[in-house]
Amino acid sequence: MANDREVLREIWDGKIPICFHLAQEEIMEIQQPDPFYVMVPRLSYFPLVTDKMKRHFLRYISQENADNEMWLDYNGQALKWHYPIGFLYDLFCGNDPQLPWTLTVHFTKFPETVLLHCPNKDVVEAHYMSTVKEADVLKHRGQVMSTMQKKDHNQLWLGLQNDKFDQFWAINRRLMESHGDNEGFKHIPIRIYTDDGISCQRLISPKNNDGSRKTVQQLLSELYPDKPEVKLRTHGVLIPLDTPLQWLSEHMSYPDNFLHICLC
Amino acid sequence: MPSSNSQTTCITLETYLCAAKDFIELSAKFMDEWTIHQDHSERLYTHLKKEDFITHVDDTGKETLFRAEYAIFYNLSYGVPSFSFNVWDCTGKLLTLEEVRGISPMNISTKDFYSVVTQQEHPVFHRPYFIIHPCHTAELLSMFKKSSKNIIITFLSLITPLIQLKLPLEYGLSS
Repeated sequence: MANDREVLREIWDGKIPICFHLAQEEIMEIQQPDPFYVMVPRLSYFPLVTDKMKRHFLRYISQENADNEMWLDYNGQALKWHYPIGFLYDLFCGNDPQLPWTLTVHFTKFPETVLLHCPNKDVVEAHYMSTVKEADVLKHRGQVMSTMQKKDHNQLWLGLQNDKFDQFWAINRRLMESHGDNEGFKHIPIRIYTDDGISCQRLISPKNNDGSRKTVQQLLSELYPDKPEVKLRTHGVLIPLDTPLQWLSEHMSYPDNFLHICLC
Repeated sequence: MPSSNSQTTCITLETYLCAAKDFIELSAKFMDEWTIHQDHSERLYTHLKKEDFITHVDDTGKETLFRAEYAIFYNLSYGVPSFSFNVWDCTGKLLTLEEVRGISPMNISTKDFYSVVTQQEHPVFHRPYFIIHPCHTAELLSMFKKSSKNIIITFLSLITPLIQLKLPLEYGLSS
């Protein structure tokens, strides 16, 4: 069970200041638009926090592009909205922090070979729920999600969307329970990404063969036996090597119930 | 009923790889054009691919041509084969989910279609693909597990009502 409530709260409250600029080639007015500054929760997704910013820039672009799908880039790299914001920041700026995080806003040339389409927030919700489901398949063979009611699923999503910690955790705690007589999940929902943003799928057990709790150090020597120096970063912090994976999963997972971790 | 017996219904990676190799032999025999792609450092990424042209006739009788790419890969979390695809029109534009629904052989509501097919970052190719949601695959395949000669063929036959995909009938007759 996720018992360290202060840790959960601290992670939930993590925010990043962002400075949005409209891409130069999109500006159709003589007057340059002001950049748009906003603090966004690390755990959220860009389509959930960019409505106001979009309205701010709309009057500076060609009206024929006003209904186009908006997208963002950092230093020329398109940002994948289906990852949590905090993870994207850690991926691109983890080694070299930049605050506020300066991003460019586009309304044309949507890079559809890189980004998923996101015509509305329902798509974000569907993506979120299917990721939670997959995590539950790994942890409990999908039994918790399938025994929950539709209103519980809604409460998870609304808790995240409206930044309501108590509402979210009232349901999420059930997804963080261990089942059966042994402590721990069947597998840990974890994605470890290299610099290029690519992660490799692995089934990771929270325990070693002898039944003891597996630590981050043991995971690293299992996955990267020839790279003794590697470290892991999530939520802006380097994870201490003696952290047990089960604790990490219960407390440091994103709301989609996956650990999204950058290799560094 | 929650699928509490999912442990027994999972298709292991080994089973998938064997079925994939058998399927490719049959595909060659029946002049179907599936190809197998193996990554020797990572067996998990072994996938089957096929490119084809498909046509759709709308209500007015107008015929439109599309290019489709299909890929079958192994979904590690669910322990099942997964089906993914992309479709482009003749100008090279990628079809949206709604447009894909429009050319489905099945007359299916938006809500139902979207609950089964979603655009996702492909776990093998790392770019956008439409992926058929795997959550019912295990259950369905387990129903056919005993009678199925090849799990990939059984799996594809579950897809074809939803997505345009030519599946020669000889697959069903082969022993």
